[in-house]
Amino acid sequence: MNRRFLIVLLLIWSLGPLFWQVYTSLCSDQALTQPFASIDHRWTLVHYRNVLTSNPPFWRYLVNSFIVGVSSTFFCLLLALPAAYALNRIPRKLSIISRLALVGAALFPYVLLFLGLLELARTFNLGNQLLALSLPYAALSQPLAILLLNSAFNDLPPELEDAAKLEGLSLFQRFRWILIPLISPATASTAILVFLFSWNEYPIALTWISDSNKLTLPVAMARIAGSSIYSVPYGAYAAATVLGSIPLVLLVLIFQKPIVSGLTSGAVKG
Amino acid sequence: MSTNIFLRRFFAGIFAVFICSALFGLAQARIVESVSILMAAPFADATQDLVNQFNKEYRGKINLRVIRGPLETEAMSDLAISSLLLGKAPFDVLLMDVTWLPKYAAAGWMVPLENNFNTQDVESLAKGAREGNSYNGHLYRWPLTSDMGLLYYRTDLMDRPPETPEDLVSVSQSLQKDQKVEWGYVWQGRQYEGLSCVYLEMIDGFGGDWLQPKSNQIGLNSKPGIEAAAWLQSLIDQGVSPKAVTNYAEPEALQSFKVGDAAFMRNWPYAWAELQKTDSAVKGNVGITTMVAKPGYSTATLGSWGLTVLKGSSHIDASIEAIRFLTSESSQKQLFQKYGYTPTMQNVFDDPQLLKESPILAEFGKAQQVVKPRPETPLYAQISDVLQRQLSGILTNEQSPQLGMNVAAVNTDQILISAGDRS
Amino acid sequence: MIALLLVPALLLLVVVFVGPLFRYAWLSFHADSVITGLIAISNGGANWLRLVQDQRYWQDLFQTLRFAGVSVGLELVLALLIALLLDQRWRGRDVVRTLALIPWALPTTVMALGWRWIFNTPYGPVDHLTKIIGLGSLNILGDPSLTWMATVWADVWKTTPFAALILLAGLQTIPGDLYEALRLEGGNALICLRRITLPLLRPYILLALLFRLAQAFGVFDLIQVLTGGGPASSTESIALYAYWNALRFLDFGYSATIIMASFILISLICVIAWIALQLIIPTHSKSRGAVSS
Repeated sequence: MNRRFLIVLLLIWSLGPLFWQVYTSLCSDQALTQPFASIDHRWTLVHYRNVLTSNPPFWRYLVNSFIVGVSSTFFCLLLALPAAYALNRIPRKLSIISRLALVGAALFPYVLLFLGLLELARTFNLGNQLLALSLPYAALSQPLAILLLNSAFNDLPPELEDAAKLEGLSLFQRFRWILIPLISPATASTAILVFLFSWNEYPIALTWISDSNKLTLPVAMARIAGSSIYSVPYGAYAAATVLGSIPLVLLVLIFQKPIVSGLTSGAVKG
Repeated sequence: MSTNIFLRRFFAGIFAVFICSALFGLAQARIVESVSILMAAPFADATQDLVNQFNKEYRGKINLRVIRGPLETEAMSDLAISSLLLGKAPFDVLLMDVTWLPKYAAAGWMVPLENNFNTQDVESLAKGAREGNSYNGHLYRWPLTSDMGLLYYRTDLMDRPPETPEDLVSVSQSLQKDQKVEWGYVWQGRQYEGLSCVYLEMIDGFGGDWLQPKSNQIGLNSKPGIEAAAWLQSLIDQGVSPKAVTNYAEPEALQSFKVGDAAFMRNWPYAWAELQKTDSAVKGNVGITTMVAKPGYSTATLGSWGLTVLKGSSHIDASIEAIRFLTSESSQKQLFQKYGYTPTMQNVFDDPQLLKESPILAEFGKAQQVVKPRPETPLYAQISDVLQRQLSGILTNEQSPQLGMNVAAVNTDQILISAGDRS
Repeated sequence: MIALLLVPALLLLVVVFVGPLFRYAWLSFHADSVITGLIAISNGGANWLRLVQDQRYWQDLFQTLRFAGVSVGLELVLALLIALLLDQRWRGRDVVRTLALIPWALPTTVMALGWRWIFNTPYGPVDHLTKIIGLGSLNILGDPSLTWMATVWADVWKTTPFAALILLAGLQTIPGDLYEALRLEGGNALICLRRITLPLLRPYILLALLFRLAQAFGVFDLIQVLTGGGPASSTESIALYAYWNALRFLDFGYSATIIMASFILISLICVIAWIALQLIIPTHSKSRGAVSS
């Protein structure tokens, strides 16, 4: 009984604010000011229509975030996989030092890098280009990705690779046909975590993107907050937060296993 | 063999068509120049008709497009700066607030316009509109609207407006005593740029000066500087202004004045049109004058918006055409009649037809004569920020005017020193 | 030879992490602002001198530390409770675990906008709640002494699931027979928690603490969207101040100085927090001695 109460409390705490947004997004503007009173014409879809038909339309931000997320994930794995493999095969001292450095980098509050990255974007003309964002994103998620994948490589029995070596397979072949398939669960976890990070990242996207057609979702949300000329624009805000949350809620529901295993194995091994 | 030749001809034909259409497309693109302007949301809405007229008139030559920015001035500034910092901005022209100009000029982001607008053009502007468009001897901006701080008063409660700070307080207090109004004077006391504007009018009104750009002389902790802060604080203490004024921006002050709660209000010209709407309780009972001050020191803070061409634009001449169109005499009349935006040309202020329709234009014209820009330094954003912090502390009684203005002066000095602007 | 595989990743890390830090260190001894035409000119230690005298920086530092300390502390306690709940066996546990993870996955800015409405005075539900329980209308986002608590609340809501998952992973490594042994000796739940759970969870708590402390110290998204640093700068964080200096005041030299100082401070704080927690949480070897004696 006691436990059931706690579970309900946990669910209210976690999901209550979200349901409040859903509720708000469906309320008409008059109803918003009296959320608990009974009012005629409370329900409306007008906020969703406004958000979806604004200029640029809301789905554009979702598409932008998706492009950035996929390209960053791909780029990150491309570099992290070989690095994670090599990390076990370099001198032990060097390996420990690199691992410590990676942990340090993973802990680093990356928001402090915004100024340096802004200068980078200015120097190399990377501003206002969606794909260019995958450069900092891949780098920022690199430490975690290498650590996660490295621990997956560690768990493989060493005989496996030795046998493949005896068969005469080259490094690339071993990598492609034996190692990568074997660590695919860890790769999937890593990929989803990197994707989530890139989808949600704010300060760097804020400084690298100013063209309203190229905004990623988090920046677009913040800009919606600063640009409304309505007196009580919260219906539209709420509709935007609901629309912006749906993809991620789905993502969590579908991929909860790899996400959890990615986070926890990171904790256990790290 | 023959198929071979046929294929070759076929491909050559296709190739030729491609080349031709590409050239044609290129030529088309060359002929129609596209110019984009970033404007704050209200201006983007107000200029929509003008932009349509422009595009009709220049069809096939220039295509003007307005990018609708955020509503608030600070958000606009953030957006413009982050675009400019990234190198090539995604717009050719920017509608900018008067206080941004020195900063943008020092950063080298604007194209000098003195070759495009000659002395005759400049002389056609009203006196107040000539201010704040140049920096270090270069003209960078052409004003779209002029804006200045004004004192609104209730003509049904007094025959003529007060002229000195003491007058304003005594008139307010007697009106409050007779229960004619709940509050005497509402203004902008929130910690934001509006507070700096209010303060500028008072420090100048007491005979001081916030910051002299040439000598970098700081007047915040001089006698008038402290008097101005103390006077504003005393308004709250004496009950002439509500306590909540420390969280008022323009809309809150307007709201209070509009329902008839206050006898005086400090606001910009746009409020006039708002007060004449049918839902206004004071419609027809409002007068406008310049801010109270010691005799002869009355001042109105300059707050105009103007158009500037950004470096890196590849359509400079077309941009100037667009600016000329948007700031022409007829455009200004249109903006004034429809949206209440104050004109910039002396001719428009003197237009008998317009004056007959809206006599208030004469008052705007008078206030134009006493406008004063906020300190023209690239460091303005910082020094204004410092001032707002201290003033906010004074108004909420967290510190004395003397102490607060001393700190503000010291902080301002530090900013100037560390920026290398002063040694 | 095989070390070559590390090179691309390493290169990227150097460009993105090490590069900016060196650049900050260098910039912090230069004036690079609009006054200098955005060109860096050496100015000795003027930036650092200004930092030391800058009341606003120290106030922001205090506010940031207050935010980080309170929210990370609350988070760890809540996360431990949630982890203990999820560590038990009951029907639907996996579903609840997934649902509880959702707040963590949403972009901060999306929900920051949502919180602005929830804390809205007078229309938000929190305001209704405070009126019902007799506190009256609190003006949560307009009162400097309250607003920072709202930011803490929003942060705890978002990041607790992450900490809970890490602690849960730790709990699942503790063998059940340890508890049984202690229960046989008559230990109740609280004693179990103190003697077994906490000591064995130690590395996980430390990890969650360090990670969250560092991230909370760099809080930016939440503050920028929820309060914009106000009211009266009472929620402004270090990262936000550095951001204003760069993008609003165009003073890159000073912005770099703020970041550099904050980087040094956060490193120190992490080390201190690490040592402090080592001392506070009882180690397992001691408690095992207690069990066997």
